[in-house]
Amino acid sequence: MDDQDILTTLKILIIGESGVGKSSLLLRFTDDTFDPEQAATIGVDFKVKTLSLDGNRAKLAIWDTAGQERFRTLTPSYYRGAQGVILVYDVCSRGSFSKLDAWLNELETFSTKHDMIKMLVGNKIDKDKREVSKEDGLRFARKHHMLFIEASAKTKEGVQCSFEELVEKILQTPGLWETDRHGMTLGVDNADTARPSCGGYCSVV
Amino acid sequence: MAADEEADVFEITDFTTASEWERFISRLEEILHGWKLVNHPNRGPALKDVYTSGDWEEKSEDIFFADFKFTVTFIYLKVPESGGTDKKESQSPEQETEQDNADDESDGTLPTVFVDMMNMDNDFPFRAHCLCRWYGLQEFIVAAPASNSDVIENESRMKLLMSSISIALHNTECKVPLFVQFQQWWRKIYSGMCVMPDSTVEYEMVHLKKLPSQYNHLEGLLDIFKGKLGSTVSPRPPVSVSVRFTYVLQEWVNSPWPQSPPDFSSSLEGDVGCSDFRILPFGACEDPVSELHLSCTWPSLSEDMIVENQVYSDLDPLQAPQWTVRIQMTEDPQCLLGEYLKNCLQLCHRKETTDELLGCLFTEDSDNDQGADISQALQRLTQPSVSYNMPSLTTVMSQASSRLRIKAEEAPVPTELLNEILLYLFPDAKDSENTEKEGSKDEDSDELTEDEMRHQTYFKQLSKDLKSSPVNSVVHKLAVSLFTVNYHHGGLRAVAHLWQEFVLEMRYRLENNYFISGVENGQPNMGSCLLHQKLQMLNCCIERKIKREQLHKGYTGRRHSTDVTDLIPTDDNYIGCPEDVSMETDDAMNISVSETADNNESCENEHRASEQANMRLASNVDSSSEDEFFECAEENQSGRTEPVAGAEMVARSEMAGENTIVQSMSTSSLASNTSFKISGIPQHRPEGRLTPCGDLKLLRSGEQMYIPVTQEPSPMTEDMLDEQAEVLAKLGSSPEGTQLRAKMQSACLLSDMESFKAANPGCALEDFVRWYSPRDWIPNEGEEPDNEMPLPGEKGQLSQRMLIPGNMWVEVWQSAQAIPAHRQKRLFDDTKEAEKILHFLSAMKPGAVVLHLLPCLVHAAIIRVIENDDSDIPKLRMLLDQVIGKAAKVLRSPHQEIRRYEDLIKMISLAEVVIARAKSLKTKFTEELLDQPGAEEELNYFVSNLLQHPEVSIRGGPCGPAGSVIHKLFIAAQKSSYLVLDDETEENSGEAYRQSPTIPDFPNPSGREYILRTWVPRPAPYSKTLPHRMYCVLVDNDYRLAGAFSHDTIFQ
Ligand SMILES: Nc1nc2c(ncn2[C@@H]2O[C@H](COP(=O)(O)OP(=O)(O)OP(=O)(O)O)[C@@H](O)[C@H]2O)c(=O)[nH]1
Ligand SMILES: [Mg+2]
Repeated sequence: MDDQDILTTLKILIIGESGVGKSSLLLRFTDDTFDPEQAATIGVDFKVKTLSLDGNRAKLAIWDTAGQERFRTLTPSYYRGAQGVILVYDVCSRGSFSKLDAWLNELETFSTKHDMIKMLVGNKIDKDKREVSKEDGLRFARKHHMLFIEASAKTKEGVQCSFEELVEKILQTPGLWETDRHGMTLGVDNADTARPSCGGYCSVV
Repeated sequence: MAADEEADVFEITDFTTASEWERFISRLEEILHGWKLVNHPNRGPALKDVYTSGDWEEKSEDIFFADFKFTVTFIYLKVPESGGTDKKESQSPEQETEQDNADDESDGTLPTVFVDMMNMDNDFPFRAHCLCRWYGLQEFIVAAPASNSDVIENESRMKLLMSSISIALHNTECKVPLFVQFQQWWRKIYSGMCVMPDSTVEYEMVHLKKLPSQYNHLEGLLDIFKGKLGSTVSPRPPVSVSVRFTYVLQEWVNSPWPQSPPDFSSSLEGDVGCSDFRILPFGACEDPVSELHLSCTWPSLSEDMIVENQVYSDLDPLQAPQWTVRIQMTEDPQCLLGEYLKNCLQLCHRKETTDELLGCLFTEDSDNDQGADISQALQRLTQPSVSYNMPSLTTVMSQASSRLRIKAEEAPVPTELLNEILLYLFPDAKDSENTEKEGSKDEDSDELTEDEMRHQTYFKQLSKDLKSSPVNSVVHKLAVSLFTVNYHHGGLRAVAHLWQEFVLEMRYRLENNYFISGVENGQPNMGSCLLHQKLQMLNCCIERKIKREQLHKGYTGRRHSTDVTDLIPTDDNYIGCPEDVSMETDDAMNISVSETADNNESCENEHRASEQANMRLASNVDSSSEDEFFECAEENQSGRTEPVAGAEMVARSEMAGENTIVQSMSTSSLASNTSFKISGIPQHRPEGRLTPCGDLKLLRSGEQMYIPVTQEPSPMTEDMLDEQAEVLAKLGSSPEGTQLRAKMQSACLLSDMESFKAANPGCALEDFVRWYSPRDWIPNEGEEPDNEMPLPGEKGQLSQRMLIPGNMWVEVWQSAQAIPAHRQKRLFDDTKEAEKILHFLSAMKPGAVVLHLLPCLVHAAIIRVIENDDSDIPKLRMLLDQVIGKAAKVLRSPHQEIRRYEDLIKMISLAEVVIARAKSLKTKFTEELLDQPGAEEELNYFVSNLLQHPEVSIRGGPCGPAGSVIHKLFIAAQKSSYLVLDDETEENSGEAYRQSPTIPDFPNPSGREYILRTWVPRPAPYSKTLPHRMYCVLVDNDYRLAGAFSHDTIFQ
């Protein structure tokens, strides 16, 4: 693959309670498959995918973390430097939704980019026994300034879209991914030196 | 110059160059068309002060006359969007009458040039193009030689040019004045013209080194002006006059620059004053404010209202209606903080190693084997010290120098200072008295002033935004003192010296189990700089080491000591202590574990426990919940019945270790003795229990399920994490990669499974999952929970994903043996990690040390800037926000680029200069000079304005509070300058000084500017009445008269 036209490499993080379908969402996005026999993640897993958006190609390095409580002592160290995070809950599990606050807290504590883009994904909408309404999800996302979408890794609804949306938003926040956008701007004295040619008070010594 | 006539003459006489100038003319016309200056509508009068507050724009084109290259530039004031209505409002009644005069113009409005000539709203702009200043123009074109070295001096060439331009202007009917620059560029000599359908304006200029004395005042200038007009109309309308005199104040008698550069060496003498290496220096070494320029303006006078001639003047500055002030700042004043920072930054480029820098200083008997050397020294240091306190650092310190084996007299950092610094870095080495003192210092900050509150919010933001280290941390302190040492004690060598001492202290602390003070405990904080993380990591290692050794000590003190020392194969590879591994549980299970075991108590417990254990062989001992340590029942007889294959040796050896575990066991534990064996299931004795896991019962045996003591996860610094992430990422996106990654990370899972198995004999994967990953246990629905014996376990099954044959969980479970955490292989090898860190630290080149400390230095520098900002200037606030934003970015960027630090440091220096200026101005305009009480606010307002605007007009002029202060400053300066004169010529001036009333309040004006304006018909009495104007500026050795005289081209 030619890496030349790749605009930037973005680090994306997937977090959320165990079993909400993080690994399944990722697998759907990268390989467009659904594996009901997806093993519970141990530690962190990693996938790369190149995404084309408006002619820009961005390489995504996606870190899938284990939701199990016992692994959590390890995984937060992977939050570092992520530009975007996908926070997943299971619409059929109220419990996974109520834990979202705790996840955001952890994110706040361990992430190093304060302006990282956050996306909330309600997964498993293909299932019948819904416990969390779309409104609940929306409300939570609004309160915490997140992007929001409902999805199903199984039927692939909303999956591609969620990743694209997130990446687009990151690319629109240039401070987040460009290394050195513009040179120094000095606040003081700038105006004083800007005057061309015969500026300044030149007639009196 | 009458351009028209000359052009005519020229056309006749010279045909040879015709093609050259024709080409020039057509090119010029082309440019004028291109800029759309043809049929250009008239602009209204410019708004008041818009010449300085508005935006000016320029357009440039190149043009050749033969092979002489000119640059033609159109310079114009941008028209504000909403200009229309404002314009009318701004017109003074006076102007309206003027405009009425000219209303016989065909299109009803006055041409822009005429409006500009007579508009008094922008008379003395403090910053403008000279042509704008001299002629009051809001739009004009300049043709100047493209290169400064090209000069038009030849008279005939000048005429040729001017006539060509005249033709172009006539042809295009462009009404914008056009100037040509003659003579050397720096003389700023221009000649220009403006061509209108029925009139022209000529712009002429006289530039002289000396002005004959009969012209050196208003009266003389009026004579010149009137002479040039040559008008015979009578009565001649009066000439209107605007005057501005500028006085320069250079000597600030009341406030000589106060800052004296700090004297580092002297401060060390006293015990108290040695704080210099604790804070970065700040402030300007020279006065950042050099001069004050006071301009006194008489905006519009009639010539008969005012007299100024050789013998008399009405123009007394104290009578001037308008006062404005400009401050001349010292350019690039030397400032301490900026100087320090730049100096430090340079060190980053240095490549020398410590050996190269300090090598020659090691004494001859040094055997280069530092390791051995150090350990010897350490032995000296670790000789039993008084009580539990660590040996006082001062004693350590004297030996510390000998550890480095540097000849004291040649060491870059003097021993005494080194001790001071080390004590400052490690205050825990001081006696308790001193530390208390430090503590109380902080408490003083209870009542905060407004400034301090503002600073506090800044500080908070800083520590959140900057990837450095906490302000009171040892890394922060080290950064500050290292850079002070660099500045005052021999640069990089001193840095190398102090750093090596620091590293030795680190090793000393590790080997003697003293925590590094000033570094928070716990996992390395990735929001801090790498160096700080490394020290945190080192503290983690020390913590584990202490625990391990505590156990070991507690154990060796017991009767089986010899046995066990022999039996334990490698202490490093096995965890010997349960506390060691209990930490991680606290966030997961809300059990706070007090890490420092109370030795006395635990000894007693151990003793009793072992006795008990001996008595009750096959009993399962439950715990009581009162224990302050952790709720954990522990078996200590396992040595005899341990069924786990291959673990016998180890198990035996651990027997005593288990005894220690039992420290947590309450002696009163007489809880239920459950039958230990359940038929059919092979059993071993439970080990390493932490606490019961709710009311969960094991599925097969129905026993209470226990959460085991587990190993803490390895702390990691960001570089380790990066390394690990890289390894994991390299495995790629394939399913195999995923598999492998899981395997690589399963060590922790395996360890937890083994602990679980050890704590819960007869357990199954289902049990483990119910504790470890409850979501993967799906209880059977519909069925009544059956709580009755003998199978009290819940009914249910593993989730689908756990049931996949051969999945990692099953695999790991199968390979897991029942081994309690304390006998497992250590997940975190603190000995190795500590060594790695110490190596990292000691192998760093001093230049790299500096680079690693830069984040903290920047942090400290910004704090210094904020602390010194007591003026609350909006402009500074903006700058500070920029600095912080920039710093946050630079410090967080994964590649520490020196270039980006350079930019940052420039900005910090700039902030320092701005603050120094503010300070300087505040001392100059002190409230003590105020006459009126209650005017402090006005004075502050004035000072704050001075800092933010290039020119400040003084409210109330000479009579306002600020005006009177300035008046006093001038008087003082005048007095002192006369005094100096007296001293020089003492004999005859002694009495002259007595007659002090003769000293004028103000010096002679350094510059005088006059603008003369009038309306008269020209050239003939029957010509149209047109505006004329002359601007004069009289400075010593530089006199310039710039006239704009109109000319009726129809009735002449
Ligand atoms: N019906 C349905 N099932 C899903 C969907 N997504 C995931 N699952 C199932 O939910 C279970 C858990 O999915 P995983 O992707 O392993 O969950 P996870 O969030 O990665 O869990 P951890 O790795 O333990 O943190 C699996 O059995 C999936 O088959 C979905 O959209 N619809
Ligand atoms: Mg997963």
